[in-house]
Amino acid sequence: MSPDLQPLLLDALLAGGVLLLLVVDLFLKDTSKAVLADLTALIFVGLFGLSFAVDTSGSAFDGAYVGGEWPLFFKRLFFAIGALTALGSRDFVAERFMRRQGEFYMLLTSCVLGMTLLPGAQNLVLLLVAFELMGLPLSMLAAWAKTEDTKGQDRDAAEGGMKLYVVGAASTGVTFFGLSLVYGMSGHLDLAGLAAAPGSPLLTLGMFLTLAGMSFKIGAVPFHMWVPDTYQASPTPFVAFLSVAPKAAGFAALAAVFVKGFGSAAAVWAPALLAITTLTLVIGNLMAIPQSNVKRLLAFSGVAHIGYMLMALAIGTGEATGVLLFYLAGYAATNIGAFLVVNAVGGRDADVDIGLFNGFSRRSPGLAACLLIFLLSLAGIPFVVGFWAKLYVFIEAWRAGLGWLVFLGALLAVVGLWYYLQIAYAAYIRPPAADREQPVAVDPRTRLAIGVCLVAVIGMGAWPSPFIENALAAAKAFIAH
Amino acid sequence: MTDHILALTVAAPFVAALLMLLVPGRNHPVLRVIGVTGSVLSLVGAIYVALHYDQAKGGLQFAQNYPFVPSFGIDIRLAADGWSVALFLLTGIIMTAGSLASATLTNRPKEFYILLLVLVSGVFGVFVCQDLFVFFLFYEIAVLPMYLLIGIWGSKGKVAPAGPFKSLWKDLDVGGKEYAAMKLTLMLLVGSAAILVGMLAMYFAMGGKSFDMVAMAHFKFPREMQVWVFPMLWLGFGSLAGVFPFHTWSPDGHAAAPTAVSMLHAGVLMKLGAFGVMRVGMILLPEGAATWAPIVGAVAALNVIYGAVSAMAQKDLKYVIAYSSVSHMGVVMLGAATLDPDGWNGAIYQMFAHGIMTGLFFALVGLIYERAHSRWVPGMGGFAKVMPGVAAFFTLAGLSSLGMPGSAGFVAEFLVFAGAWKSGHLMWAIPAMIGAWVTAVYVLRATKMIFWGEGPSHEFHDLHDAKRVEWAALWILGTCIVAFGCAPRLVLDFIGKATSEYLPAIVDAAHLVAMGGGK
Repeated sequence: MSPDLQPLLLDALLAGGVLLLLVVDLFLKDTSKAVLADLTALIFVGLFGLSFAVDTSGSAFDGAYVGGEWPLFFKRLFFAIGALTALGSRDFVAERFMRRQGEFYMLLTSCVLGMTLLPGAQNLVLLLVAFELMGLPLSMLAAWAKTEDTKGQDRDAAEGGMKLYVVGAASTGVTFFGLSLVYGMSGHLDLAGLAAAPGSPLLTLGMFLTLAGMSFKIGAVPFHMWVPDTYQASPTPFVAFLSVAPKAAGFAALAAVFVKGFGSAAAVWAPALLAITTLTLVIGNLMAIPQSNVKRLLAFSGVAHIGYMLMALAIGTGEATGVLLFYLAGYAATNIGAFLVVNAVGGRDADVDIGLFNGFSRRSPGLAACLLIFLLSLAGIPFVVGFWAKLYVFIEAWRAGLGWLVFLGALLAVVGLWYYLQIAYAAYIRPPAADREQPVAVDPRTRLAIGVCLVAVIGMGAWPSPFIENALAAAKAFIAH
Repeated sequence: MTDHILALTVAAPFVAALLMLLVPGRNHPVLRVIGVTGSVLSLVGAIYVALHYDQAKGGLQFAQNYPFVPSFGIDIRLAADGWSVALFLLTGIIMTAGSLASATLTNRPKEFYILLLVLVSGVFGVFVCQDLFVFFLFYEIAVLPMYLLIGIWGSKGKVAPAGPFKSLWKDLDVGGKEYAAMKLTLMLLVGSAAILVGMLAMYFAMGGKSFDMVAMAHFKFPREMQVWVFPMLWLGFGSLAGVFPFHTWSPDGHAAAPTAVSMLHAGVLMKLGAFGVMRVGMILLPEGAATWAPIVGAVAALNVIYGAVSAMAQKDLKYVIAYSSVSHMGVVMLGAATLDPDGWNGAIYQMFAHGIMTGLFFALVGLIYERAHSRWVPGMGGFAKVMPGVAAFFTLAGLSSLGMPGSAGFVAEFLVFAGAWKSGHLMWAIPAMIGAWVTAVYVLRATKMIFWGEGPSHEFHDLHDAKRVEWAALWILGTCIVAFGCAPRLVLDFIGKATSEYLPAIVDAAHLVAMGGGK
């Protein structure tokens, strides 16, 4: 391979993986297609391992794409998320969508391909192409539960997928429009060129439109309406993926365009971003309280977490960006774990009412303990990763002089604990329903995925130092480049 | 090995909890043995520390640093001063008694012991931690397991609807264990949020390099900052100490909690709050403390009276004891607010004395409730005929509670009142003494209504005295009340040593504040 393509090595291999899945799918009978999940997981694990062995630094396509620590951090994160999702989806997909398994994993993998391409993109066009490569499969996967049967939940699935698609398309339009203004006023498509462009009213408008468009993708308030509906209607293992991976990719794009591209104009966009942050924190936390469907509850909790991450982004320093990476990694491990447990409890239904958790700790004590730990991590309780993530964000925010936001964030974290405890309360304190006393059935691969998440959540919580150092180094490389 | 005695003592209950994970939940005897062993080991550690603490030298001893998050200057810095020695002993005693008292528990003992042991590790950690951040972590470990401990193993009290929010009574399930658990957790965590903000403010005022509390004590924080950070710490930690009006979780929580949890919570955890106010708020922010001392003292005096009067109005036995804790914690805060050596010694000694006394109370209430299946005081009577041992210990705890000379409670209250008098705060000392008198009224009345007079009526058919292992908890705590009442110097010397090291700086600050200068 020419040295020019070195930074794209892992992505190229992943693209090969997509094709491999497509081909293998052709030769498998419907009943044995579950093996595709294992193959997908293997591809991701292999690439994750490979990422430590090969050198992906340098730049390709005249600097439009660069490698290095920043993209590498994201790639590892996406590979890990992909592997966990594939493991967690296997039995669910095999049972519910027996004939459409190959496509599920193929789309999942190409979606991840879009994500891994994104953080290294230094050119707005490449960035948007990667973004769309991620976005289109997402809407298809969100509607996966739709069948020819047009009753009940299947109709919800179509609605959820459609919402994601329409919102996604609209937000892409807004982003394109904004970036076209940016290009028109600055004459640059590359991030370095943008940074040097002189300010003008139209450029500012373009900037704000881009911010709005990207906020749709990460589900920041007031652009969050699609989040709960889509989560509720989509297959739960896929929601585990949807709730973390596109968010991480969205933050990679936001960081690239705003912290780096418009870094010199931070005085213009930072107040707007802070306003979005505050709204996201407040609305996300408050709207989670009345939810009785666990998937919707976790959807709003996800919105609240986006608020904390936006806080780090709005500060815009190298340290704060590193903290954002740490938050993303911790949140990914926690949320995937939580959704996989929810999937196990909910069985094959898309709707998971909180009442299904009644007596969970008596039915399956081990699994309930895992859920409790994930919930505590989401709530930000010491000795699990969520605590450090929030704390680091608060520390950086304080350094940036945002003491009021720290106070608000800390108070809302207590609100957060209240609704997370609603689930723990059902699981630990309420007795199980009469027809649900047997242990919750969990297939071995989901068990493995939950175990990996648990180890990550506790490991990063008990010993955060190496992870935060790694994240800070990646962010430093990103800012310096 | 002995260099790390503090770490070992803190870790002993936690390791026991980890060991329990390996034992099947049905194997109750083994679980009990591990739980009690973990507690006893930590008590042994506490006694070792007390015996080997060099009083002549004073200061921080057994110091060890364990790196934790170096990039933010967070280390696990463990070291014991005189106060730690006393409170370490208290925690060891209460935990040992508590684990013995819960030996009869049959509902999911594995989870119960694990949570209890983890909690107590946190308590030990707070008392010897010299790194503000890790102090906060330990504090959280001590507070959080409470939610499940009360929510799962708690019991429902009998509360008659009253007050302006009567109509909400049923919806909120006031008196229920879920209500109590949620109220306690949320109120204490709002307090934690305030502590966290105050802590970060101090960290950054020092340059954002380290959370070392020894360095912080020597650092002179700007006056304006101290004046707004101190109330955050006071109310943050104070909510755990039951400072009025943030005490409302405490009666509900203590009443709903199972025996061992009430013992630990009223006996030790509330002390964490008061300890936090003194150790972090007052010592690290002396000028803030001096500025706010009049208000802290006034609220504390209010606590004493309000808690005592509320206790008098209760009909549910656990609520009586819980409100008496609110009242007695007021005495602790009052002593702290005097900024006087006697007042401070009294405050810490009151933590110790009240911890043991209230531990004994809750152990007894647990025994009575188990046998009578009721906590409704007016329905009881004549219990002394069938449970003389329980009656004797209840009377002993009651006498200590009302400050009978010869009991540990007397020494503590006397010191606090003397301190308040000496520092010229008669308007605090007098209400507090009236509060102590009201204590005598409700304690003696409750004792009379439960143990003496007619009865017991036939509905209480399986009343009997304490049995086997239950005696152990009662004897340990009862002996301590008398021993530390007759020979207070056993722990008072440790306490006085540390007070004499910390107080002068605060008295200087108080002079500065009083003169209005020295910025």
